[in-house]
Parts: sequence; structure tokens; C-alpha cells
Amino acid sequence: MNCTEFERALADIIDDESCRTVEHHQHIETCSTCESLVDDLNAISEEARFLEREAEPSARVWNFIEIALRQEGLIRGPQSVIAVSKQKKGWWRSVWLVPAAAALLIVFGVRYEHTAPKALLQNVPLAANDVASSDDDQQLLQTVQQRSPAMLASYQANLRDVNAYVHDAQESAKRNPNDEEAQQYLMNAYEEKAMVYEMAMDRPLQ
Amino acid sequence: MGSSQHGAKLLVGVILIGMTALAVAESRQEYHFKVHRHASVTINNQYGPVSVKAGPAKRVSVIAILKSDKVEVDKNQNGNRVVLKSHLLDGADANTGRVEYEVLVPADANIRLNSTSGPLHAENLRGDVVIEGNNAIVDVRESTDGHVHVRTLNGPVTLTDVRNGHVEITSLSGDVVLTSVSGPFVNVNSSSGKIRYDGDFGDGGEYSLTSHSGDIEAMAPAYASIDVTARSVQGQVDNEFPLQPEHTSFTMKAGSAFAGTINKAASSVKLFSFSGKIHLKKKTK
Repeated sequence: MNCTEFERALADIIDDESCRTVEHHQHIETCSTCESLVDDLNAISEEARFLEREAEPSARVWNFIEIALRQEGLIRGPQSVIAVSKQKKGWWRSVWLVPAAAALLIVFGVRYEHTAPKALLQNVPLAANDVASSDDDQQLLQTVQQRSPAMLASYQANLRDVNAYVHDAQESAKRNPNDEEAQQYLMNAYEEKAMVYEMAMDRPLQ
Repeated sequence: MGSSQHGAKLLVGVILIGMTALAVAESRQEYHFKVHRHASVTINNQYGPVSVKAGPAKRVSVIAILKSDKVEVDKNQNGNRVVLKSHLLDGADANTGRVEYEVLVPADANIRLNSTSGPLHAENLRGDVVIEGNNAIVDVRESTDGHVHVRTLNGPVTLTDVRNGHVEITSLSGDVVLTSVSGPFVNVNSSSGKIRYDGDFGDGGEYSLTSHSGDIEAMAPAYASIDVTARSVQGQVDNEFPLQPEHTSFTMKAGSAFAGTINKAASSVKLFSFSGKIHLKKKTK
């Protein structure tokens, strides 16, 4: 048995030693590389049992990892979240992802934290106290003006308020990229802005 | 004398004719719908109040007072779903397009109210309550077990005795007042409106009161059991409770943030404002 054959069978034998044949045992005894691999996997397996549920990273962390891996071209396809498999069989495949993803996160995490928040926030660049800071805002106000000029002043004031909210929330999130509450605050601000748009577009204005 | 008496009579006559014309244009309509458990009732009324209260089971009763003939009520029932819409005709405005609704629904019905001007009132219900209004005054009372979702741009929102459901309120500039509101999830998001909470924060819920520039005032009794975090970036925060300190992931700046637990910390309370003031008060008997 060579190393390639051994690695192919590893998924089936790592969990259950009784599945290991004489060939598997002989290869482990004669190949230090594969022996180390088996030892490492067993060690990870032991440590993983002690991980508490509360220690599992939040969904946002996994999303960051996924984005970083996609940027590096290491993953492709429609999957939206990398999930650590909870099934016993083949668990080691997913566990390998944890240290691999963590290593990638350490290497690329700083770069991502500097670029991704800016990339996300650049979609809605706002200056403080802007009534209509974007083309979408301008279009909204034009629509309001066409449908109901009497409501224009009210929507201008609403947009001014909500744009100030979004601006301050963006600044806070930029200054504190690791602060979950600052991120949630930003989501709240966007929710408010979305509400203004929905109210203006969904409802007949008079 | 004769001409002044004639003028007075003419004036009275004109007034009477005007009132008669208005009375003729205003009409009262009643509708009744048979429904089953957990019926869905939607009312879209651009101008005018809508009041929904719990009534007999298996029946939705509607009284609609139309202020003129420039508005009509479109009504539709598909199975257990009832939809009422005030349909504005050509030339209708905020006065002539006004309809006043008084609705009785089964207590477990789920209701949805949309209005520009309102006011909107829901009382004594156990189903979900979803309310949207631009400037409408929103008032929800004695709602149990159902979810309450309110979205308003400028109208004030008042919730009283709302328990055991999810509460989500999004207001741009309308003030939000919550009195005796508790449940597994209470979330208020306001831009410039003030947020005022008066209650005990229940047992085991998550409460989040967030504002951009509006002040946040929370008043709770001494027996409240909460894990509280309060932060204001530019505003002042203060607290009247003795807190058991706890570790936070952010830097605590005195006067701008506080965090800690009270009693057994059964519920989680987050008070967050960018430039508004935050005040956690202890209720005195």
C-alpha cells in the first residue's frame, strides 16, 4: 500500500480502528509521514470533543472566513457558509477546515478587516447631514415630488435624519470593526433607511 | 329690518343645506365575515382611524364610516383571509377620502393595518399585529402571545401591556413609549425619536433599545433581573441601579457607558444611542 492509497482509505479508518486492515497497520508502521498524519488527526479529534458549544464562532466569523477563502480562490461554488460537519463519519474532513481556515484568517484577516468593511460601506458613501447623498436618494425625492409635492419636505427631513444615522453608524463601524454592537448598530441604520424607501414607494402619497 | 331677517334666514338655509349635503355624502357601511381560527385581517386605509378590538370568535365585524362619495371600501375574503381597502376615487383628498373603521375580530386573528394618517389602534388581541403608518399615531394595548411589529416614519408609538410575544418597532422620528411590555424579544430602533420603557423586563427576554439621536429612558423596579449594557457615543449615560460589574468587549468610558447585572440577570437589556442620552432609572413605589 502506498501513501495515496492510505490517504484515500483514511476517512473510513480514522474513526474506527477495527476497520484498519493489516495493510493499513503495516503502512503506518513503515511510513512516518502517514503515522504523523494519523497521530495529528487523533489529537484533533480528542481536543474537538472538549470544545464547548458556546465556543463556536458566530455566523459572521464563518462568513468572513468564506469571503477570505473565496478571495484567494480556494473555494468556489454556491455554498454560502462553511459548516463544520457534525456527523461522526468523515468528521475529520471538516475539522481540517478549522485550523486551515483559522490560519487563513490570521494571514488574511487583517487585510480583510481593512478592505471588506470599506468595500461594504463604500456602497453607500455618505457625508453627514446630507439630504440626498446618492443617486437613489435623488430619485426617491424626485418620485415623491412628482407624486405628492406636499410630502417632499417631510421626506427630505426623513432622509436627512436617516442619512445622518447611517453616516454615524458607518463611522462607528469603521472605527470598531470588531465591535459586534457597532455592526448591529449599522444594520439598524440601514434598516431605517430601507423603511423610508419602502414607505415612499409602497404607499400612494397624498 | 326686513332685509336683515331675510339675510339671516338665507344664511340659516345655506347652512342647513350644507350640513344635509355632508350628511348625505357621509355613509355608514357594515360588513360581516365568517372566519375560522387564526384568521388574517388586513386593512389598508390611507386617511382615517382604524380601531381593531377582540370580539366574538369566528366572526369579523366591520363598521366603516365613509366621509364622502369620493371613497369606497373594497372588501375581499378568500377563505380565512379578509382584506379591506379604502379605494380613493378621482378628486379625493385627505378630507373627502377619509374612512373611519371600527373592527371586531376574533382574539386569535392576525391583523395588519396600513395607513398614512391613522390613528391606528389594536386592543386585547392574541394574534400577530403588524402596523405600518407614515404619520399615524399607533396604539397597541393588552396584546398577549402574538408578535407585534410596528413601522412608522413620524408617528408616535405606544405599547401598553404587551406580553409574551416578539416586539419589533422601527420608528424614524416618532417617539416610542413602552409600558409593561415584556416578552422573549423586544427590539426598538429609532432614528431621532425618544424611547421610553417602563416595565420590569420580564424573565428571560432580550431587549434592545437603539436610537441615533433620541434619548432613551428605561425605568424598572428594584426587583428587575437584568444584564444591562448601555452605551452612547456622544451622549451622557447614567444609572440608578447598583450594578454587579461584568466584563465587556468594548472599552468602558465613564459617563458614556455602563454594564453590569442586577439580581439574577434573567433578561438581557441593551441600550444604545449615538448622541442621545441614556438613563436607567429605578422605580420608586
